[in-house]
Amino acid sequence: MEEPKIELDDLEVNQERLKQNTNQLKNLRVYGSLNAGIIAGILGMDGWIGIAIYVVIFLMVSACLAIKMNFKVKEYFRSSYDAYYSGIGTDLLLFLMIWVIFHNLVNIL
Amino acid sequence: MSDILIDDRIRDWVFLPIIIVMFMIQMFRGLLTKYMDNRKTSQKVTSKAQLAEMIDKNITQQSQRLARLHGLLPDQSFKMKRAHLCDHESGILTKASQKPAKDPMQSMSMMNPAAMADMLKQNLSGIVFMALQYQWVSYFFSGFVIGKVPFPLTQKFRTMLQRGVDVQNLDVRYISSISIYFVLLFGGLQKIQQLMFGDDNDEFVDDTQMQMQMQMMGMPTMPSLGQQNDPGKLFIAERTRLEGVKHTFELNKSQDKAMKSLKRFLMQ
Repeated sequence: MEEPKIELDDLEVNQERLKQNTNQLKNLRVYGSLNAGIIAGILGMDGWIGIAIYVVIFLMVSACLAIKMNFKVKEYFRSSYDAYYSGIGTDLLLFLMIWVIFHNLVNIL
Repeated sequence: MSDILIDDRIRDWVFLPIIIVMFMIQMFRGLLTKYMDNRKTSQKVTSKAQLAEMIDKNITQQSQRLARLHGLLPDQSFKMKRAHLCDHESGILTKASQKPAKDPMQSMSMMNPAAMADMLKQNLSGIVFMALQYQWVSYFFSGFVIGKVPFPLTQKFRTMLQRGVDVQNLDVRYISSISIYFVLLFGGLQKIQQLMFGDDNDEFVDDTQMQMQMQMMGMPTMPSLGQQNDPGKLFIAERTRLEGVKHTFELNKSQDKAMKSLKRFLMQ
């Protein structure tokens, strides 16, 4: 990930790098939900436990991101909320889809 | 209700084919949009109304850019640019805001053929495929149970998830094939497609998602920006915004900022 120079002034945020960082983050989150779905599906988790697995893996991905950035969120993203917690609802649907598919493939059909 | 055993052949001939076919159609749609985008050259202005619209759009873009990046200009040039736009008698924004409100019929860009062709292409790569897939799935694969959802649902979902299966008291968890179609549709085959196509395509993927949402609302909305029925109000708003801008030239602060970042660098 590249490091933009950020202050809260619009002039100084390097837009190209910020966009690239957010794209990488989006890709990372998609991989995270895919894996969470596969885990939940294969292990045959039921109901709320599955959603809990999704949240756990999401937070694990955010933790790995924090370690990779050496905890200096301001240098890579606009805010820590953005980097760690922002997309949790949108990837939930992806997780549900993968969960349903793998649960059916492995356990039922 | 004890577990239902589902035949192996359902998995081989129904479940996997639906997933594979929907995924392939999604990829194909992506390639199709990419191909059509490549063929679209820059649009020529073909009528007077379109020319006027272009001019208005450019004016608003200019004033927005000035309001956003005013720190890059020294005092004199900023004042001159602002006067050029906002002057009481001869500024462009004041002149533009005095034009009469456009007739709503005219301002719909259905009138020019380029925008019509654009809309047709968007519809083609959107709704038609969705409808086709729905018809295909519900024709070939209706009437039996295909799988089970892992989470408990209320009875209200029964009509949506068990279409075609007329067994009462069947656990709502058992779903028919059309519900797999919906799960795949809403769940985001687009995201996976995004992974495959790489980063340079995020603009067009956002477009298809946005247009899918627009179609969901049921109203065909026009995609372009300058469709206000009263452009005068827009210009007046831009003018008040520009006049309220407190301008400082960023170069004056640059020494302090350089000192700060140098200190931060040396302290590490």
